[in-house]
Amino acid sequence: MTALARGAAAAGVGVLALGIALALAAPWLAPGDPLDMVGRPLLAPLAEARFPLGTDQRGRDVLAGLLHGARVSLAVGAAAAAAAIGAGILAGTVAGFLGGRADDALMRLTEAAQTIPTFLFALALVSVLGATATNVVVAIALSSWPPTARLVRAEVMRVRTLDYVDAARLAGRAPLAIAFLEVLPGALAPVVALVGITVGEAILVESALAFLGLGDPNLQSWGRMVASGRANLRVMPSLVVLPGIAIALAVLAASLTGDALARRLGGRR
Amino acid sequence: MQGNADRGGRRAGGMRAAALVAATLAAGFASAEAVVAQEARTGGRLTVAADTEPRNLNPAIVASNGVFFVASKVVEPLAEMDYASGLRGVLATGWEGSADGHTITFHLREGVTWSDGTPFTSADVAFSAMQVWKPLQNLGRTIFADLEAVETPDARTAVFRFARPTPLQLIENALPVVSAVLPRHLYEGTDIAKNPLNTAPVGTGPFLFAEHRPGEFYRLARNPAYRDAGKPYLDEIVYRVLPDAASKAAALETGDIQLTAFSAVPLTDLARLDAIDGISVIPGGYEGITYHITLEINHRRAELANPLVRQALAHAIDRNFIVDVIFLGYATASTGPVPSTARDFYTADVPTYPFDPERAERLLDEAGYPRGADGTRFALRLRPAPWFQMTRATGDYVRQALQKVGIAVELVTADSGAHTAAVYTDHDFDLAIGSPVWRNDPAISTTILFQGGLPAGVPFSNQYGYDDPAMNALIAAAAAELDRDKRIALYREFQRKAETDLPIIHLVDFTFITVARDEVKGVANNPRWATSSWADTWIAR
Repeated sequence: MTALARGAAAAGVGVLALGIALALAAPWLAPGDPLDMVGRPLLAPLAEARFPLGTDQRGRDVLAGLLHGARVSLAVGAAAAAAAIGAGILAGTVAGFLGGRADDALMRLTEAAQTIPTFLFALALVSVLGATATNVVVAIALSSWPPTARLVRAEVMRVRTLDYVDAARLAGRAPLAIAFLEVLPGALAPVVALVGITVGEAILVESALAFLGLGDPNLQSWGRMVASGRANLRVMPSLVVLPGIAIALAVLAASLTGDALARRLGGRR
Repeated sequence: MQGNADRGGRRAGGMRAAALVAATLAAGFASAEAVVAQEARTGGRLTVAADTEPRNLNPAIVASNGVFFVASKVVEPLAEMDYASGLRGVLATGWEGSADGHTITFHLREGVTWSDGTPFTSADVAFSAMQVWKPLQNLGRTIFADLEAVETPDARTAVFRFARPTPLQLIENALPVVSAVLPRHLYEGTDIAKNPLNTAPVGTGPFLFAEHRPGEFYRLARNPAYRDAGKPYLDEIVYRVLPDAASKAAALETGDIQLTAFSAVPLTDLARLDAIDGISVIPGGYEGITYHITLEINHRRAELANPLVRQALAHAIDRNFIVDVIFLGYATASTGPVPSTARDFYTADVPTYPFDPERAERLLDEAGYPRGADGTRFALRLRPAPWFQMTRATGDYVRQALQKVGIAVELVTADSGAHTAAVYTDHDFDLAIGSPVWRNDPAISTTILFQGGLPAGVPFSNQYGYDDPAMNALIAAAAAELDRDKRIALYREFQRKAETDLPIIHLVDFTFITVARDEVKGVANNPRWATSSWADTWIAR
């Protein structure tokens, strides 16, 4: 690892940890509903001590919005990524280990899913199912599992031919146990790198949905803050810039953290 | 600090615009012709922003503002709204109703020709009324439902015969919107709804429809044969299709367009634009096009069927917050279903529900819904109409306001189609934010919000589960009343009844705003200016 890569990795992990800490602490740092209209509309950042980052066009505290928005963005991102990667691992392992018809069927399904653009699929799904946080998670998960599935399948196909797997088979272990307990752990390292990218992408899709007004209307989120601040772009750019920076940082930090983890695991192997 | 400076600027803009309207009004009273003749310059092109790109440009079929914005310069109505006289004849010069309410006689203007040279006659009016307005037009289907026949004793007279007594006042108030006259000789014998002229209208107006390039622009050209010598002043009107609000503001600043109508630029940009030399914000000219923001209430919920709870809702919502923060001052708090701009019908003598959260809480306690252990009395689902930014923003505000008095509110969002079906067909809502239109007479689109017994699926009507015999009787009596003053008195009684029962809550009234470069003259000089003919609009050098 170069010094630069190490620095970037450390920064990514640091920013992500800080983000998670702030998100967890949001109810204490900014008590109450972040959607409450608590101050004078369009207060500039630092203009009033009560609202260090100012207020938006309806008098909602921008700092409270960012903190509570972090909860939504990170929770939705993590939940969607976990669901997507879980589904991807399941499909990839089964396909890669069993091969044959199961492989064919699952891979055709994966290819079919991959031909649909991720964001459009999520958009369509949320439009039909309704804009709630759960539906957003489901929509993102359903549209982002294929890359994991393909990667896991390839790794599983490589690992299953190794000698220790044959040994397990000869020892008479059940096929499912071999697949998930023997083969999968050996195939997981590259998936870790994908975790970071998937979380980052999930955060981005959640923000984009919220930006288009398809996020949960009862929750403050970064994408929604950018969307509602856009009308005031010329008057008070901080309303768009601050949540925009938050989104960019979160996506970058998630991706760098994934990279760092993958390098660690890769180095050990 | 910045906020204060902005407000100051805005107020100044409002006053400047008010002065402009006043000046225009004064000119109208003195002698519009003389004043305009001194100043008006002939020639030039006016470029304006188009928000929507309607496919059907036939205002006799689609009586909507988006269509009128372009088509009202080509196709003319029988009469138009006017600041001085209330109503000014356009293709008609006068009209009178019979005492029994069964006939209305229109006297038509002499010397009017269609742009292809064919003379305009009473046959065109009869054809338009019977073949287009009554069977095909969105509003005409209701207003002319009782129209039996239109007789044409001579080329300049059209006699409308109604099966049931029809108040002349209602027809007068509807004329500017429902009476666009089509050329019979080009429509008769064709499939009217599919006639190619619906996308390239032909009329008697000051401009000719020249060109439409989808996604780019509409172009209208001066009608050299227009009956009013010297008018129109403009050579051309170009409507540039600019769907994005921010790009409209930018185009105004660079001078690519000279005018935006219908509040096309974001409200938050108005103060900034108004401060720019050469650009003015003009709030007048839309008095005849007023919208309300309403809180629609589903009386099928036991809590909401209780009048005390509905009064509590009204007291819990700060209308001034909606006016100041969501509309940035460009709206007025409602007192009821008729806006204060409706000179004849409006009455302020109604029960009012000033913002008072403590009183709201007392009323909710009294109604038998005390705060529970978690501070919540009961939970409601609120559907804000998705079509205006302001209806969505009002939904956000109402949620917070009701939570303050212990009513938990869950916002439910949907696209326009799903929202309309959920509220007006399936009644799948507790509260909704609506935006009904005031159409200058309560009988056109206002009493339908209060009338009981309507079938499910009629959009923008009483689908609230409110059905009060006294209210229904009042609406029926007013609809059949021919006497102008008695009719007005009945509609004032209707407003009192509406605000006493409070089946829905009218929150604010709003119209639109024009932003124009200062070289554009003759702007906002009638109450439906954006949808009028623009024959007297001109461009200074």
